[in-house]
Amino acid sequence: MSAPVLEISNLSVRLPNDLKVLNTVDLRVEPGEVRALVGESGAGKSMLGKAVLGILPAGLRQTGRITVLGQALDQLPASVRRREVARHVSLIPQDPLTALNPVRPIAAQMTDAMVRIHGWPRRKALARAADLLEQVHIRDVARVLKSYPHELSGGMRQRVLIAAAFATEPKLIVADEPTTALDATVQREILRIIRGLQQETGTTVLFVTHDMGVVAQISQRVTVLFGGRVVEHIDTEALFAGAGQGHAYSRALIRATPDWTRSDAPFAPVPPEVIADLMQEQTR
Amino acid sequence: MLLRSIISRLIAVAITLFGVAVVVFTLIRVAPGNPIAMMLPPGATAADIARLEALYGFDKSLPEQFVIWLKAVAQGDFGTSIIMRQPVAELVLERLPATLELALMALLLAVALGGLGAVVGARFRGRSPELGVDLGVGVGLSVPDFLWGLLLILLFGVLWPVLQISGRVDPRLAVDLSTNFYIIEGLLRGQWRLVQDVLAHMLMPALALSLPLAAMIAQVLKQSLKAELHLDYTQLARVRGLSETRVIVSEALRNAALPTLTLIGVQFTFLIGGTVIVERLFAYEGLGNMAIEAVINRDLPLIQGIVLLFALLFIVINLAVDLTYGLLNPRLRHG
Repeated sequence: MSAPVLEISNLSVRLPNDLKVLNTVDLRVEPGEVRALVGESGAGKSMLGKAVLGILPAGLRQTGRITVLGQALDQLPASVRRREVARHVSLIPQDPLTALNPVRPIAAQMTDAMVRIHGWPRRKALARAADLLEQVHIRDVARVLKSYPHELSGGMRQRVLIAAAFATEPKLIVADEPTTALDATVQREILRIIRGLQQETGTTVLFVTHDMGVVAQISQRVTVLFGGRVVEHIDTEALFAGAGQGHAYSRALIRATPDWTRSDAPFAPVPPEVIADLMQEQTR
Repeated sequence: MLLRSIISRLIAVAITLFGVAVVVFTLIRVAPGNPIAMMLPPGATAADIARLEALYGFDKSLPEQFVIWLKAVAQGDFGTSIIMRQPVAELVLERLPATLELALMALLLAVALGGLGAVVGARFRGRSPELGVDLGVGVGLSVPDFLWGLLLILLFGVLWPVLQISGRVDPRLAVDLSTNFYIIEGLLRGQWRLVQDVLAHMLMPALALSLPLAAMIAQVLKQSLKAELHLDYTQLARVRGLSETRVIVSEALRNAALPTLTLIGVQFTFLIGGTVIVERLFAYEGLGNMAIEAVINRDLPLIQGIVLLFALLFIVINLAVDLTYGLLNPRLRHG
């Protein structure tokens, strides 16, 4: 088996009051894999993404090991770590409305990282930016490159951000709920675009989401988190096969996903006894 | 569209200046104190007084005097100073460069000091450097400019006399320039000795004027920076490998600068007002010092000229701020 792109072992993140938002998490993501990281609010899924990127909020303490492409990030000095993360890892952020700098044109924001990280000439970076914008189905590429963020819609901005994330040819992309802030039709389109670029480039993706529907569409494997701990790692197909595979909590999460296609779809929150069992399991 | 906004702007300027003219003209004539009495030696006869009053037009009614003055002003004639017996326009324009250079230097210092404080405070937010900046802001805000002036005189004029405490330039120094912009023209002509001497005179009054504004800038800009640093685009910049300092300086600063710019626009006019007392303190030969002389001597034409010039200055500053705003914020450029 080839070396994993991302390997996390025994990772814990503590708040200043010693509460653990992540608790002894182990995770191994293989090259080319799309791994969904799923859980309810507060399960720690976004924190895990931030820990990988090295952008945990100040005051949080992290123990354990995060290894990207065989390099233990937590062992590196801050400036080296920053450079290594920038070279190999990208982020597709959650909210496209605040993720672009309002006072800088799109072209500058897309090319900056390529120029700084890879030392490409500005013109080459610009050509790649234009190329990627076409791949994320933006028609008027020249205009978009010259635009400021406020001149573009939310969906357009998210496409720009996706293109920018792939622009530096990263080995790993952390997608932090990239469709949550968008409406349903745009969501589907954005998912298709990420999936398309991922398959073409073979980039490994850690896809943070709370939406089991999105999990089914995009991932090969799922890591389910609850209360900062891993509930299970499982093949997406197996979990959704309906053959009773997977943890009771994971299956309850699937049932809890609202079905937009039926008007009589039942409201099915995660049953309290499933939670109670899970909590008992975790304290053991 | 542009033409219309320029025209409406000019109309607003004219109305503002007219309002200022009415207020200042009326106020200084209603206030007690008679300029003629100041001009005549003790024991002057009633006939002497009446003659002088007629000469300067003080025997006419207030509205009549105003119309006469306004007509003259419209033709560029601001009258003659009663005390100095020279045209007001000439006197005022001669002093204006000194005050402008002082105010600009103070603004420069305020932006530099305040900006530095804000960046340091935001960079080390929640840690002791931010506390230090907050303390400095508190002190800067609570001490008025003239008190800063006195403190600086004590520090750099008396205890460690490295700066000049009085005047604008060493009188022994031959000034051979075509304008009164000593620093600007001195720099352009490469007269370093002169520039150095003028700076040694200007630094303390400029610093005194700048400190309260610097404190305000540090406070407001730091808050805006901290708000920007929560937004996703700064997060993304970190992921792309920028250090925290570079995230602040090259990504967040321009966004955070907008509220601060408004503040500077408003406060800079106060700063120019502050030159009056600070120039007095340092015997700096600018408009402010001249304004005090004019008021003490009830030199009505000169007071009017100075106040009108100050009003014009405020208007120009506000215009400049508005223009800079559009330059910084692309959202204001279209539509």
